[in-house]
Amino acid sequence: MIDKRIPYTDLDRLLDRLAKRGAVYAPIKDEAGEVVLAARTHDQPIVLEYRNFRLSPKALVLPQNQTLMCFKNGDVEEPALSDRETFLFGVRPCDARAMLALDKVFIDGDQHDPYYARLRAKVAVIALACTRPTSSCFCTSVGSGPGDAAGADVLAVALDADLLLGAETPRGQELLSCVADLLTDAPGAAVKEAEGQIRAAEDQIAPVNLQNIARRLRDAYDSPLWETASLKCLGCGTCSYLCPTCHCFDITDDVRGGTVRRVRTWDCCAYPLFTLHASGHNPRPTAKERWRQRIMHKFRYAAENYNHLLCVGCGRCIRNCPVSMDLRTVLKEVGA
Amino acid sequence: MIASHQIETRLREAAEGLLRDKKVGLFLGYEKASLPFRTAPLFLTEAEKAKRLVWSPFCTANLAVYLPRLFKAPADAREAKTMPPPPAVGVVLKGCDARSVITLIQERQVPREKLVLVGVACPGMVDARKAERALGDQEALGAGEDAQGNVRAVVEDGTEVTLRREQVLADVCLECRSPTPSIHDILLGAPAEARETDAARRRTADLGSETADRRWARLQQALSKCIRCNACRQACPMCYCKDCLLDQTRPRWVGAGTDISDVTMYHLVRAFHMAGRCTECGACARACPMGIDARLLVRKLNLEVEDLFGYRPGAALDGVPLLSAFAMDDPQEFLTEP
Repeated sequence: MIDKRIPYTDLDRLLDRLAKRGAVYAPIKDEAGEVVLAARTHDQPIVLEYRNFRLSPKALVLPQNQTLMCFKNGDVEEPALSDRETFLFGVRPCDARAMLALDKVFIDGDQHDPYYARLRAKVAVIALACTRPTSSCFCTSVGSGPGDAAGADVLAVALDADLLLGAETPRGQELLSCVADLLTDAPGAAVKEAEGQIRAAEDQIAPVNLQNIARRLRDAYDSPLWETASLKCLGCGTCSYLCPTCHCFDITDDVRGGTVRRVRTWDCCAYPLFTLHASGHNPRPTAKERWRQRIMHKFRYAAENYNHLLCVGCGRCIRNCPVSMDLRTVLKEVGA
Repeated sequence: MIASHQIETRLREAAEGLLRDKKVGLFLGYEKASLPFRTAPLFLTEAEKAKRLVWSPFCTANLAVYLPRLFKAPADAREAKTMPPPPAVGVVLKGCDARSVITLIQERQVPREKLVLVGVACPGMVDARKAERALGDQEALGAGEDAQGNVRAVVEDGTEVTLRREQVLADVCLECRSPTPSIHDILLGAPAEARETDAARRRTADLGSETADRRWARLQQALSKCIRCNACRQACPMCYCKDCLLDQTRPRWVGAGTDISDVTMYHLVRAFHMAGRCTECGACARACPMGIDARLLVRKLNLEVEDLFGYRPGAALDGVPLLSAFAMDDPQEFLTEP
């Protein structure tokens, strides 16, 4: 519930307080002038004018390259992890929601991945509501929206005059209470303005019909649409690597000298090798099976297994695909 | 540009004719994409649908990348005996794409007699990310081409913005020396002149003139953003190996993660495998989600190949691939005096 506010001139002080407790990631401009979520340094001003970051924040809970353990001289060592917190400021609601989706996979069910859980437990998310969606956004169709608080500990809304904040979880409440002296109550008019802004953003997002999508996908398993839709896929992995909910990984042993590091790296179901068996058989031999699996995983298996879609409508896959594949086009055709 | 529209019309007629007369069973071209500044590859099998084909400043993809898989023999030898032969394929090619096809033919990955090549002399294609950056914080709702060949975009508030073509051309197009396809069965558009013949040379000279330490620092900085997604490799028409060295695990030649040494090895290995084969289409750079100049190393290696051996990949169909031939007067000082 948005009920507090802070002037922009005090934002740095708020982040300084958090910096005493842990690492702070905030939106800053990189050398190329692009806004990225990066470790905050004092010589870089925070930027609040951006649509979304090119990369999702998932690398902070599921690193592209994560050493799980080392074997040295017959001993097993796990890398030390600091117990300081990780604060993410400026994450968009879609990316905050994606963390919940990843939680479903790694910790909520009958699996408990300690390597994910330990990093995840440190993270506190201060999400920033969207005011300017892009033409590739479709968060409103997957149960999210420009003001969705799912996955956020604190939800912020940037008005012209100042920044509104609201705690969404007990952790968020604790965060806001530790900076209570910097906050004042948000007047009703400001809260109404924030709600209006969010509604205006929602109206700009073109909807995609995902009613009964799990059942529609189940019924369309053998449809010829998968063949046509997948012909142009290069299997390049861009969609998975930029996706905030894609989480498939590979584990390899990296042997250097007398030390073996067991490393987890990102993997992608679009790669031809992804399901290659040791026998040489591949149950997903062509792009058709792999593209179908991608959609099924996100919109059917996730719904059936977790009751939570594995897509947050951020549109990164659409925007960055080198051959302009658009999963919204496929979803529209399913069960149409 | 009136010419683009004319080319589009003639392209549709050519594709429709080829499919209707069964000269090809599949025609590869471009169609409208769901976002501005982009097109999507189109796999056309029905003559009546030829109107879906477009020709615009956004026809960036190198369609040659799809050819090897269309002619790959099935893994099952029994299946291979009973399967009908693959249909002939028609494909739209820009200058760089045509060089890729020549190289694929020379490397026996595609049969020339099964291809109908529709070449288009290319004025250079637009980099979607450059165009988006040029619009600042406004987003384009649609984009097209004006009579001067510039890009006209309609932005969110309804206004039109003109982006000069040179401002948003892909980097690889700014360095292009082969805008006109040297191989074609049909050629659309008047042959085009190369823009600036030594742009690539100037770009690499700047890197080459630095000290080794500075070069290493610049290379590390450029590659540090790499997330090892393999998009550059997958987009490259010359990377068709069934079992890529960089994926092998027994032994693991290159680690899978983002350690800078693994990242550098990945790019170095790819660059050396591309030397004398890369046809400078820019598919790698375009595919890279992190905006890395994926041609940084191979640009230099290709120029060295040209200087040492007088060879440009894909220049002529009767050329012999560089590493498949030698001449008695090939330079050898690098062997004896490294």
